[in-house]
Amino acid sequence: MKNTLKIQRAIKNSTQADLAEAIGVSRQTINSMELAKYIPSTALAIKIARYFGKTVEEIFELEPGD
Amino acid sequence: MKTRFLFPHSYRRIGWLLFVPFLVFGLAVLNHDFQVDFLEISFGKNPAPGTFESIFSVNTINLSDEIATLGMILSLLFIAFSKEKIEDERVAQIRLDSLHFAVYLNYAVLAIQVIFVHGTAFLDVMVYNMFSVLLLFIIRYRVVFNLENKA
Repeated sequence: MKNTLKIQRAIKNSTQADLAEAIGVSRQTINSMELAKYIPSTALAIKIARYFGKTVEEIFELEPGD
Repeated sequence: MKTRFLFPHSYRRIGWLLFVPFLVFGLAVLNHDFQVDFLEISFGKNPAPGTFESIFSVNTINLSDEIATLGMILSLLFIAFSKEKIEDERVAQIRLDSLHFAVYLNYAVLAIQVIFVHGTAFLDVMVYNMFSVLLLFIIRYRVVFNLENKA
């Protein structure tokens, strides 16, 4: 799964720590997601989307093979 | 994120503080027949050695090995299953993966020991096996957790 977390963060000008605190996870979890090493649960994906004011599918995208 | 069956974060430190002395105590009991005298309890006289009854009935036992075993179990559980400072779903994932890994590796090692270790030496294998799942879990979990936290 691909995601545009890093881009969204840049647009909103927020750090990994800001996002982490807002959605109640550790900063390492945000980092893992940005490196596409960790795929968040539906609940977490929705929280992230809400934080950026976007829909989940604007941020997360399936890759071929998923 | 709701986490069930976990001890508070501070229990990890308590676990390590208990683990070190109980490990030393346990190894002394296991390998050097170390016993603490005041832990001896008696339910009556032991049957005379060599008699038929003495094979089946022991009325005096020393609780050193019981205390060592329970102390090891408790301290390892505290270390293994205390919460992180920030509990989230990725931590839960690492914990589950590590538990899976530890169970597989533990039984792989046990299978090898079943094949190659025989007689009374196997009793030692079983003693170590009481703690090895938790030990393997703790090692795998800490390694993965610390590696990812460096990133």
